[in-house]
Amino acid sequence: MTRKELFNQQLQNEAQKTVCSLNTRRHFLKESAMGLGALALGSLFGCKNPSSPNDIIFDAAHPLMPRFPQFPGKARSVIYLHMAGAPSQLELFDYKPELMKMDGQDCPQSLLEGKRFAFIRGIPKMLGPQAKFAQHGDSRAWVSERMPHLSSIVDELSFLKAVTTDQFNHAPAQLMMHTGSQRLGRPSLGSWVTYGLGTENQNLPGFVVLTSGGQNPDAGKSVWGSGFLPSVYQGVQCRSVGDPVLFIKDPDGMDRDLRKASIDAINTANQEQYKTFNDPEILSRISQYEMAYKMQISVPDVMDISNEPDYVHEMYGTKPGRESFANNVLLARKLVEKGVRFIQLFDWGWDSHGASSEGALDVGFINKCRQVDKCITALILDLKQRGLLDETLVVWGGEFGRTPMLENREGKKMPYKGRDHHTEAFTMWMAGAGIKKGGSYGETDEIGYSAANGKVEPFDIQATILHQLGFDHEKFIFPFQGRPFRLTDTRGRVIKEILG
Amino acid sequence: MPIGILLIALLLQWLSSKEEYRSFYAPVPFLLLVGMFSAIVACISGYLLSISDDYNKEIVGWHQWMGLSVALTSILLYCKERKIQFALRLRFLPLVLLVLIMITGHLGGSLTHGSDYLSAPIADIFSDTKETVATIKPLPDAQEAVAYTDVIQPILQTRCYSCHGPNKQKGKLRLDDSTGIMKGGKDGKIIDFQHVDESEIIKRLLLPVDNDDHMPPREKPQPGESQITLLHWWISTGADFNKKVKELNQPENLKPVLLALQEVPDTVMDVTTVPVEPVEKAANESIERLKDQGIVIFPVARGSNYLSANFVTDSLITNEDIELLLAIKKQLIWLKMGFTNVDDEKMKKIKELSNITRLSIEHTSVSDKGIAELRSNKKLQFLNVVGTNVSTKGLLQLKDLKELNNVFVYLAKINQAEWNELKTALPAAQIDTGNYIVPTFASDTSEVKAAQP
Repeated sequence: MTRKELFNQQLQNEAQKTVCSLNTRRHFLKESAMGLGALALGSLFGCKNPSSPNDIIFDAAHPLMPRFPQFPGKARSVIYLHMAGAPSQLELFDYKPELMKMDGQDCPQSLLEGKRFAFIRGIPKMLGPQAKFAQHGDSRAWVSERMPHLSSIVDELSFLKAVTTDQFNHAPAQLMMHTGSQRLGRPSLGSWVTYGLGTENQNLPGFVVLTSGGQNPDAGKSVWGSGFLPSVYQGVQCRSVGDPVLFIKDPDGMDRDLRKASIDAINTANQEQYKTFNDPEILSRISQYEMAYKMQISVPDVMDISNEPDYVHEMYGTKPGRESFANNVLLARKLVEKGVRFIQLFDWGWDSHGASSEGALDVGFINKCRQVDKCITALILDLKQRGLLDETLVVWGGEFGRTPMLENREGKKMPYKGRDHHTEAFTMWMAGAGIKKGGSYGETDEIGYSAANGKVEPFDIQATILHQLGFDHEKFIFPFQGRPFRLTDTRGRVIKEILG
Repeated sequence: MPIGILLIALLLQWLSSKEEYRSFYAPVPFLLLVGMFSAIVACISGYLLSISDDYNKEIVGWHQWMGLSVALTSILLYCKERKIQFALRLRFLPLVLLVLIMITGHLGGSLTHGSDYLSAPIADIFSDTKETVATIKPLPDAQEAVAYTDVIQPILQTRCYSCHGPNKQKGKLRLDDSTGIMKGGKDGKIIDFQHVDESEIIKRLLLPVDNDDHMPPREKPQPGESQITLLHWWISTGADFNKKVKELNQPENLKPVLLALQEVPDTVMDVTTVPVEPVEKAANESIERLKDQGIVIFPVARGSNYLSANFVTDSLITNEDIELLLAIKKQLIWLKMGFTNVDDEKMKKIKELSNITRLSIEHTSVSDKGIAELRSNKKLQFLNVVGTNVSTKGLLQLKDLKELNNVFVYLAKINQAEWNELKTALPAAQIDTGNYIVPTFASDTSEVKAAQP
């Protein structure tokens, strides 16, 4: 070290010392007076509210541990049956004899002014109900001949006859229904629920998704995504044919002990990483490895419906070994029995535009109804007799409704009878877990075009589902990017009218 | 406005006395001048307002004199700044003005926002309870409540008092006492017993919100539909100030509204499944040990010490597990032991869990002997014995369980012939024998084909 360097170093030390000596206690108090005051004020304001609404403790090491709700909920599990493509309420539950009288007439201008439709152009014709209706049960609920089985259990259900949404395309409307936003990036209902409640069976995923109908819903996997919630809460898609979860089998030449040893080794390495960086996502990863290992045993077992007795298959109309909505419905019952929190079913193929025979109200639509009617009825009754219905919430619906007008795609006559997407009125129903038996809320106008009273929107449905699980939707929040987020955003009302 | 301008003037004047802020002095005389004039204008407009509107007389009086003295002092101060001789000697003039401004401002605030406009939010910060003002507490029993004090007054208090109360009587109307309500305002009576719908108070409540005569004004919190119904009902029954709700005639449509007054908020415990009696916290050690055994155990809700236990991932229940449960028997109310090795022997211990309200032991080997052990579990409400060996004989043992209202016996050994006997022994319970049939129609297994278009 040259003399100059040495001198520089001494100078630097001295300067540092001087700076330090200026930092006296007085200096500290003076500099931090505002800061300390603000802190004190903050804690003062804080004491006003000793229990902050969002005290869900996220434990990265055990993210799916069961947690308690805000108040004792009626529901422990949810089975959400989503008919992707949007079934026609006018052929199922919303009986409109007035519409029959208008069948074939030009649609009145007043219904078209200022409105936009996905495919209807110009002046379409009105289309009367394409099914016969009758009243059923003590609740005298209208159900069409398309659902002969379901009509026998209407006294277990509560209908919402005036559901509305503000999206007329499948993907955004499905996102709206399941994530509370028409855009990508928000957590889905099932993710919120598993984030809030965890799940009771640690050997199975807490949020299971089953799809049927040959396609995933239009909104893709985002409808069961976890958005900004930790990724462990996203839905786990299981298949009803082949391996229930892809890559769950040990690869050839690797036995279970070796698998365990390798997972242990990976986890040890991850533990070391965690000690260094303290990143909770590493704990998340460790627990996911462990869960995957446990799932290898428990998932194939619970996802196998072939060991169910014959009378069960008879009841649900299930045939093991093929992909069908009925099989998924039976699986849903088994998963509920095993303590899975949220089971989301999507059945594709309800988009009855009339452009093809599959999408015709008098062909494909009838076949779709036949695929779901018996098994859904069996599900409700089976849950009931097993003592599970009063703690399992069953929700049925699509993402929007269908027009009272015959679709005229691009102004032309279509080969089959069909209806266009419609946001202003559709029917959904709920059952079980404290939902009124034989209830109905809301009405549409006399041709089923829009809600006349008792209008509800997706936020209200989400609020009601959360309420039945023990959550006040307004206090169930997750802080993200500097603001608290909730599933129902700024809206939502618990539909008390259908609570028992 | 004068308050703000004068305060800025005072602040700048004070700052400019310091060496480094000398240049701040420049705008002071001008600000004082503007403040002085606006104070005078404020005095005049305030006086006009005090004649036209009815505020608390005492506060108005004080506010008036204080306002005048603010105006006067600001004139003096302006004279001083302009070096006018007689004012030069008044050294503490700025300080006096500051004090006067503060008092006047406070009085003004009290007039427009109510005399507790300052103290209420502060009290709010220091109190633990969230609701201090503007919420109406649910009634324990709506029928027993006094119609005016318990039902009507709280509505008026939260929606009307701020303008028609002790401090302010807009339109010469005062709604915080019986004489005021009966007397009405400057346009006459607000209540018409003959034509309730024509009563000024009801008419104005029902006007569209954007109508100028609508009350409360658009920017104020609006009463709910049910609150208007209640007011209407109270007037139609003669606007009595002392009678109880049950002494007044109640039309059918009012019943749900009255009931809603005593409805508990969402977050209050559901008494049907969770006991209302408080219970102390269970020992953490027992809970941790149960968790270590793979038993799912957690409180039934936030803030509740009652526990729920589930053996969903632990189908081999040991005697040690049950001992651990017994340690938390006070708190344990929901227990799920379906698909496990619970048998008649273990039921002898399980019966000691005396607070259990929901018990699921479906698909176990429990038989009549085991179920009979539960005959003294008086709090039991829900019992699931689906797929067990329990028969009618066993269930008859539970006839003294008055709370028991849901029993599931699907796939158990219930003989249909003994059904009547069972129903008479347990009249209050809903017994679900299951075996529901969903018939298979021809249409269920066939498909509709499209005709050739």
